[in-house]
Amino acid sequence: MRISLVLCLICVASGIVRAQSQPVLQSSNAFIAAGVRQGSLSLDYFYNWQPGASRKFQIGLGARITSYIGSNQYHATAPADLAVDVLKSDSLLLSTAQVHALNLAVQLGYRLSEKVSLGFNIDAVGVSFGANKNGRYLNGNQGQLVQARPTPLNILLVGNHDRGTLNSQFFIRYHITKSWAATVAYQFLFVEYTTAVAVQQQPEPNDRFRNKASMFGVGITKLF
Amino acid sequence: MNIRILVLFLLLAACETEDATPTTTLNDAFDTQTATLLRAGVWMGANNYNVAGEAQIYQQPDGTRVLLLDMFSSSNGPDLRVYLANDAKASSFVNLGRLKSTNGRQVYPIPAATDVNQFSFALIWCQQFSVSFGQAETK
Repeated sequence: MRISLVLCLICVASGIVRAQSQPVLQSSNAFIAAGVRQGSLSLDYFYNWQPGASRKFQIGLGARITSYIGSNQYHATAPADLAVDVLKSDSLLLSTAQVHALNLAVQLGYRLSEKVSLGFNIDAVGVSFGANKNGRYLNGNQGQLVQARPTPLNILLVGNHDRGTLNSQFFIRYHITKSWAATVAYQFLFVEYTTAVAVQQQPEPNDRFRNKASMFGVGITKLF
Repeated sequence: MNIRILVLFLLLAACETEDATPTTTLNDAFDTQTATLLRAGVWMGANNYNVAGEAQIYQQPDGTRVLLLDMFSSSNGPDLRVYLANDAKASSFVNLGRLKSTNGRQVYPIPAATDVNQFSFALIWCQQFSVSFGQAETK
């Protein structure tokens, strides 16, 4: 799935160059999502180009702020070389997690009909902030109390190499009027914490732990 | 119609059933006559949960050690684990496994590398919600 996201990014980058002179549709979306003991609120703005005579395709750039709150969530070892092997992956259990992320994002869309469109968007780079939290590092049958804070820098990379808190959504949008639409989406949110010390020592020191939060949600979208 | 199905799916995804601990009264076999008692303590409830009985750490003739929960009873809850910890807050701990039952005599093997003198507290700990149900300070 991550490879397909990168392909989407490449498509967006190449498409924007060609779409500079195309009609523009701006959108702003307020979105609420919920999962198991976790949820998020997000606000985004996208500047979408509509290349082609049919104006069915949309390629957009924008920004999104996501506020995430979770309760009793396991965060697994984040670095890619450790995360791929379950024997090298430990976990950080946080009683409460709260992260705010401001990211630049890209979006692809397709207008199925006058009333319905669908699309995909993903955060690319940005910053995260939030308070320190107490959690328990779990390594096999051993554990210890540790402090952690949201990883400050977010960046979308290939595969599991991403860092920080990054949001992505697959959405279906129902256009109520020309200016307003309702959105339903599946949201896949990476939430990453960095521990105060490198609590994981084997097979190499690590202080980054990630929760891959699957959520569904609804939103209201302003088009202009 | 499709939107209704999606909303229903969203609501279902937000729910979760938590596995409670079995309540069958256990009577694990353990011969205290051939084992050496290393440490012992009495269970006390915490955070308005009830835990009672005795916690005893034994060394068996083959050198292995176990935590024995004797005359044990506990309030029920999800994801209850038996910890050996350095304090009542589980700042550092060894997880001996899921609590087998809320009632009865139970034996939990202690990993060989564990320094039982460093972990003087036995805890009944709800791992998912990081809540102590009870503790026994062993001496």
